[in-house]
Amino acid sequence: MKFPPLLAAAFAPVFAMLLLSGCGRPADTAAPAKGKLFAVSFQTLNNPFFVELNEGIRKAVESRGDRLVTLDAQFNSLKQKGDVADVLQQKPAALFLNPVNWEGVKGTLLDARRLGVPVIVVDAPVSDPELVLCQVASDNVEAGRLACEALAALKPNARVAILHYSVNKACIDRVDGFKAEMARHPGMKLLDTQDAKGTTEAARPVMRDLLGRFPELDAVFPINDPGAIGCISAIESAGKAGQVTVVTVDGSQEGARAILAGKLHSTSAQFPKQIGRIAAEKAYDHLAGKPVDKDIKVPVKLVRRENAAEFSGTP
Amino acid sequence: MKRLRDLLPLMAAAVALVVLFALAVPGGRFLTVDNLLDLTQQISINAILAFGMTLAILIGGIDLSVGAVVALAGTVAVATLPVAGWPGAAAAGLGTAGLIGLVNGACAARTRMPPFIITLATMMVARGIALRFNEGRPMPVPDSQTVFLALGNARLLGVVPVPALVMLGAFVLAALLLHRTAFGQHLYAIGGSREAARCVGIPLARRETTVYLLCSLLAGLAGLIHASQLYSAEPASGQGFELNAIAAVVVGGTSFTGGVGTLPGTLVGAVIIGILDKGLNQAGVHFSLQYIIKGLVILGAVYLDVRRRK
Repeated sequence: MKFPPLLAAAFAPVFAMLLLSGCGRPADTAAPAKGKLFAVSFQTLNNPFFVELNEGIRKAVESRGDRLVTLDAQFNSLKQKGDVADVLQQKPAALFLNPVNWEGVKGTLLDARRLGVPVIVVDAPVSDPELVLCQVASDNVEAGRLACEALAALKPNARVAILHYSVNKACIDRVDGFKAEMARHPGMKLLDTQDAKGTTEAARPVMRDLLGRFPELDAVFPINDPGAIGCISAIESAGKAGQVTVVTVDGSQEGARAILAGKLHSTSAQFPKQIGRIAAEKAYDHLAGKPVDKDIKVPVKLVRRENAAEFSGTP
Repeated sequence: MKRLRDLLPLMAAAVALVVLFALAVPGGRFLTVDNLLDLTQQISINAILAFGMTLAILIGGIDLSVGAVVALAGTVAVATLPVAGWPGAAAAGLGTAGLIGLVNGACAARTRMPPFIITLATMMVARGIALRFNEGRPMPVPDSQTVFLALGNARLLGVVPVPALVMLGAFVLAALLLHRTAFGQHLYAIGGSREAARCVGIPLARRETTVYLLCSLLAGLAGLIHASQLYSAEPASGQGFELNAIAAVVVGGTSFTGGVGTLPGTLVGAVIIGILDKGLNQAGVHFSLQYIIKGLVILGAVYLDVRRRK
């Protein structure tokens, strides 16, 4: 039977990859077992916000000589549960968690508790705060409120659409903040709310349809920067550039550049690196036996034309 | 026993992977009883989906709707829990899944529409219905529903995960049905040649409808476990589950053109994919590399299989 050499041929890439990964990315491999192990699981890494948050945690962890394993759940709750179960077997000093489904992580939180691993939730909250050490997130309600305030100052009688991501708790908070502020401006009117998952590719067609349905539409709140980029693209291709005001939340480099280009009115900046750093500091505080606050809100800041340059990443 | 001998290379590959990860994962933390029991629980949903998918692929069909049915069955079950308790919830979840299966089966058996398109369409319909519940947001399972929560989370005698036992039960039933009954023989015949099967008097439409019904019911069962494991129903969940199930089926040696394949093969296929996921995670391999490696393994496994059959 000529199977074994073929088998070896098929699995050679696996060996090669394992070896390659061992030398190329020291932070992602667990090869040298020195220092403490930390782990973080994100709902997605297909968003610069989470990449920067990861960087914030990683810098704080590595500066103390410890290591961080990063996992991407790709919006799949079951994958997140499996991923986290896998790293929990390796007894990390602490787990940072950005849940896909704020109800669905309960089993994971119970597992972590059983193994005595403290959990720090980053960005999106969970529904069982008593099971976690603390939650560190942007003040998302305030971020939504600031966006509406900026819009109201420009167009007090705006006809608004919201592009929601209705299964994400952080986005629900932003929309709550936006609507609360809107109630203070009786001239403003909400025409429709649609779901666009907070991604550029989903937001563009949804926005095109809204522009077609509502000729009077003159403002949109697409809950994050990637969504705003999709909206801007739709507005431009509909020949309505300059007529429809876009206000959003994130403060990414792409968002700031869109403001400098005059395409985006405002974005309420979050500080993901800071969220990551604070989360890591809380973990070390806890490991050192110090008490830790349960609910930490990291302030947001409105980015407008005046201050967009400092967020655009270009010198 | 010829069937078992066919499985040997696959099992060798699974063992090779275990040895590889036992060496690659630091601190010898891969090859522990706890970790391997954890593995059986983690693969349970994909394996149960793959059992049904094996039947569909065996007759030359496919069922793309299983991921959406996982979400729909779980959502319907959790929505029913407060009014009907766990027996009512399980019945409602499985019943909904069965309904989708009957539609798939009827369309595949009675029309000339290709199963790929039929189940692509019912996937969208099932997903849409799931998203009608609670504005598409997750719905928590109340802590008081201990039986429902036990389905995904409990351990028999504190050791063996219940979902793994459910998976084994589903495997035994499906394997007996496929490998020990006339019904199973009919499926191989249909997959080999529909015309020949028709000529020898196999009731094609009834067999085909039953296959899609079984596939959907198994997806419904997976949906109940999924909701239980996540302590909630998540209408947006289950996306891409059908592809993972197909991967397990083809790695397990089932031919995509139908007529060839076994359920034990599929079980080993699901185990291999599960070992890969777990091992790569625990060896700390970057998630981007994990994709590449999984893709290459699937390609390699199917290539070997095709070569061996020639």
